[in-house]
Amino acid sequence: MSASEQESAVAAEGRVPRGLTRRDLFMGAGGVAVLMGLGCVKFADAKPVVRPPGGQDESRLISSCIRCERCVEACPRDIIRPAHIEDGIVTARTPQLCFDEGWCDWCGSQEGGVPLCSAACPTLALGPAGGSTPDDVLGIARITEDWCLAYRLIGCRYCYDACEYQAIVLDDADRPHVVSDACNGCGACECACVSLQSGALVEGATARAITVVPLEAEEVA
Amino acid sequence: MGSKKLRVVVPIAILVLAAVGFAAGLQTGTLSAFGWNDLVLLCPIGALATMIASGTVIPRAVVSLVFVVIACLLVGRAFCGWLCPVPVVSKIRLLWRKRPEKRSGPKGGAPANLSTSEQDGRCCENCSRCEDSSGKLEKRGPVDSRHVVLGGVLLSAVIFGFPVFCLICPLGLVFASVFLVMLLFSGGDITWSVIVVPALLLIEVVFFRKWCSHICPVSALLSLIGKGNRTFRPAVDKNACIESSRGVECGLCAKACEREGVGINPRKPEKGTSLSECTRCRACVDACPAHAISLPFVDRNKRFSSERANDEDMAGKD
Repeated sequence: MSASEQESAVAAEGRVPRGLTRRDLFMGAGGVAVLMGLGCVKFADAKPVVRPPGGQDESRLISSCIRCERCVEACPRDIIRPAHIEDGIVTARTPQLCFDEGWCDWCGSQEGGVPLCSAACPTLALGPAGGSTPDDVLGIARITEDWCLAYRLIGCRYCYDACEYQAIVLDDADRPHVVSDACNGCGACECACVSLQSGALVEGATARAITVVPLEAEEVA
Repeated sequence: MGSKKLRVVVPIAILVLAAVGFAAGLQTGTLSAFGWNDLVLLCPIGALATMIASGTVIPRAVVSLVFVVIACLLVGRAFCGWLCPVPVVSKIRLLWRKRPEKRSGPKGGAPANLSTSEQDGRCCENCSRCEDSSGKLEKRGPVDSRHVVLGGVLLSAVIFGFPVFCLICPLGLVFASVFLVMLLFSGGDITWSVIVVPALLLIEVVFFRKWCSHICPVSALLSLIGKGNRTFRPAVDKNACIESSRGVECGLCAKACEREGVGINPRKPEKGTSLSECTRCRACVDACPAHAISLPFVDRNKRFSSERANDEDMAGKD
């Protein structure tokens, strides 16, 4: 489609400037065709990922991110990771939040509320969408009840204790529930969750029982 | 340390600096966006592509572009010769390609090279390579495949609304490979990217051995801006050059440049590739047996020679 159109366009252009040899033209057209083909992966299905603060406007982020990984370096809590190629070719190497060993506090304690990742982004892929305060939602916590220890009435309440925004409530049986309106996706609950370490109890779990998912994923589910 | 070694050491040092900065959180960045805090030098291709794709003017991108233009007007494609890690990575192919050739080199040396090898012993070890490269290097015009690719890079950013080339840019992939391995070991970040990214990099620069001269859009952009460059270009001291002063057949400088895959003839710039392609690799400087080549701020020699030519013209008229 567009690749062949482009090729012919280049071929038509190519004859005009003097000095572009046929070999150069074919090689260049081949390169252009590859780029056009690669561009089409944008229309392939990509798994939405949790973005760092200020990166919630997905189309803005994809259009501006040059995969320089400055935000990954800038994060004082080391929770920004380059997204995996499994999440999609276009998404690969763009910033993603990983709450295994830390959570996002929008750099409130250190930088007076300006997240270092947004400040570090040289192409404004992070930042213009806002996201400088905890009021800007990164995602939403979701509990997989099959994996949750509390749902086996063990009395685990690590996530409840970790939440600073009163976004988790306990029911009569001390089982946690997420309050959608209060959750901003900071990831403290996911970071605190011990379900995976208790593998003997929850067989077959591939992730923690409470995970932050991007808003797009939550809407689909 | 010779410039040939130095040109391997410098990009590796940059890579190590970036890796240490990454591990220690120094925020040195990569060559995609190098610098500290607000002082960031963006890759010119990335800067152009993101501004086109997002349709916004990004201050740091504009500043970076201006800097790149100024730097390129001063030193041409020196980035390609001295800072870019891609040529260093592509040397991996020498591990299995050049060794057998090297062994047979001295025996298979063509008679044509004998005259030059007498003048400079250094040529001997490279004879087979001289021969090898000189046959393949075709004459190229002012515009070549790189520039077509550069057009495709910008066009794809317009059509698809994201910097498509950044996905496969070997420069980015070099740093990404290092970081992914570091994250794998330090953070247990297990992903297929650890295999896919280096594999893609190797496919690009090892199997497409002409990446830099035939595909790379960064090289294309620098060569375009470099057309306005007049400083620090290789200049031949006509009095010292054995070919100019004594009429001895030499041409080692042009051969050295061909080995680098560029193909400039420093003695007769109009005969080979355009001087705007010069990467300041200093191969010609090192190759010259008479030490007649230097990279001066301004080629004073040329001015003198043109004055002399004028004088000769005048004399001829008289």
